[in-house]
Amino acid sequence: MISPNLDAILFEATVPVPFERAWAVQRQLQQRLLDYPEGPDTVVLLEHEPCYTLGRGASEAFLRFDPAAPPLPLHRIDRGGEVTHHAPGQLVLYPVLNLQRHGADLHLYLRQLEQVVIDVMAGLELQGERIDGLTGVWLEGRKLAAIGVGARRWISQHGLALNVDCDLAGFAAVVPCGLRDRPVGRLVDWRPQLNAQQLRQPLLDAFASRFGLVLRPSNPQDGVFKL
Amino acid sequence: MPALSSTMTEGKIVEWLKQPGDKVERGESVLVVESDKADMDVESFNEGYLAAVLMPAGGTAPVGETIGLIVETEAEIAEVAAKAPAEPAVAPAPAAAPAPSAPVTPPPAPATAPAPATAVAAPVVAPASTASGRVVASPRAKKLASQLGVDLVALRGSGPHGRIQAEDVMAATGQPITVPRVAEGSGPAYAPAASNGAAAPAPAPAGDAFGRPGESVNFNTLQNAVNRNMFASLAVPCFRVGYTITTTKLDAFYKQVKPKGLTMTALLAKAVGVVLARHPQVNAATSADGTAMAFPASVNVAVAVAMEDGGLITPVLANADKTDIYAMARNWADLVARARSKQLQPEEYSTGTFTLSNLGMFGVDRFDAILPPGTGAILAVAASRPAVVAGKDGSIRVANQMQVNLTCDHRTIYGAQAAAFLKDLAHLIETNPESLAF
Repeated sequence: MISPNLDAILFEATVPVPFERAWAVQRQLQQRLLDYPEGPDTVVLLEHEPCYTLGRGASEAFLRFDPAAPPLPLHRIDRGGEVTHHAPGQLVLYPVLNLQRHGADLHLYLRQLEQVVIDVMAGLELQGERIDGLTGVWLEGRKLAAIGVGARRWISQHGLALNVDCDLAGFAAVVPCGLRDRPVGRLVDWRPQLNAQQLRQPLLDAFASRFGLVLRPSNPQDGVFKL
Repeated sequence: MPALSSTMTEGKIVEWLKQPGDKVERGESVLVVESDKADMDVESFNEGYLAAVLMPAGGTAPVGETIGLIVETEAEIAEVAAKAPAEPAVAPAPAAAPAPSAPVTPPPAPATAPAPATAVAAPVVAPASTASGRVVASPRAKKLASQLGVDLVALRGSGPHGRIQAEDVMAATGQPITVPRVAEGSGPAYAPAASNGAAAPAPAPAGDAFGRPGESVNFNTLQNAVNRNMFASLAVPCFRVGYTITTTKLDAFYKQVKPKGLTMTALLAKAVGVVLARHPQVNAATSADGTAMAFPASVNVAVAVAMEDGGLITPVLANADKTDIYAMARNWADLVARARSKQLQPEEYSTGTFTLSNLGMFGVDRFDAILPPGTGAILAVAASRPAVVAGKDGSIRVANQMQVNLTCDHRTIYGAQAAAFLKDLAHLIETNPESLAF
């Protein structure tokens, strides 16, 4: 298959971003592609300040706290899937793509996002795994990457979160992705020298290569999306 | 329930963003569907009112199932609301294709349907039925009617449930009914090249078009499904092998058996089936995860059929190697008729192990086809035409010849296997077509 090498814009935040801000930017980027579907794909790479998010159809039964008084900010958002936790040290990739250019198939898209993480892990000589029916990427029974997406007219938002060297304590307050007896993990437990900063470029490279994109920084003509 | 993925068989309704009675703008999101960990906002392609929700939030429906009804005017809401709950069987579209094949658009609502409601099934809205005396016509019929100035209200439709077809509009203007709308090979493979009606200036364009100049027309459900399948083929390493087959004997045999109801499609499908049984590698396909070669238990030849209102479907002649050819011709006529009225069951169009695409009846001299996902090969069959043929001994004669072109997934089928299959197919057609009838 010939890689089309589409132009795509990268928005990257170097310090942890509150969830609302990143979500607002994603919606702007999504609206921009809805208004102009021929425009370039965009991707946001960041780490979040600690928080919890729930998919649109998610059950509050998987929260081990009162949703009215959460220990960290709690957001119900427009993606598929159950509750998850974000914290610094977890790399979050939000591709805002016109999926019509990438197969127009939501399951295929989820599998491609998994493959990006598997590719990154292969670069660390770790063999990431899929578990049938459980979207995400796993290593020795632990979930290292959570995936959940939403789309309007095939324009995607949300994406993947890969635990690199984040504090996992926040996951204890929820049942991540609604899966009991399935522990979460982080890469640093297998590769002790690793930190999230080092893995940013490999993650972007793997993503760009899987989706046939050439990432470039945003320029003033692309508009200002303050992360 | 729209198909958000070729591997999606059912979807969960997360939320209805509109409630019954709400006005729906064109392009406005009506509901959110979840499949796996992906959500999609589903939009209406028509302006109207959400009249009924047939599957509430939290429910799961198979792809293709009617999950709600959109009507054009406020007045029709009550009519639908009055009848919809009492009739749970209202317009249940047959579940569309599970995996790789193309799903059919939901059929028009049965004549008992409550009102001219459109089904919210996929990002396209199916035409309505006629209980309240409203006009139901195929998109092509509507287009033709507006081009030719025909009043649809005055017409009687010959389609399913009285739906007005393009042919009815043509007949109303006294126009001859042109090109067969279903472009399958039920005609002779031989077609004079001059029949491509560039003749008298006709008011209607000679070729099919789904829109008028200057318009942009959304793909319908079936077209979108075909598009997705075509995209999937981009991930398959394909190669193509061509062969010229002399058909003088086949054409003579076809002339003999045509009065008995045999069609060229049945003959070709049978020939392909018989040869495939001897070449199981060409009947095999790469498994969905790419790790294995899957050898089907039977030889099922699918034949591509273009649909009048866009898209195509591949009805399947199951066990083509073993089925009696007269039975096969009857099956085929029945499959095509039901494909036209969109009444095929998924197993009737999704179980092909090999595909045949025939454009011979248009006089096409060669083409190649795109491999349908889940299969290993597709054969493109062009027209049989008289050609000057040079023999090895230097003799020159005139014979009918047709070009065929096999597209294969190279992971499972290699060049030598494709070539051996074509050589055997050519040998059968060139020397012993009569054997197909036994």
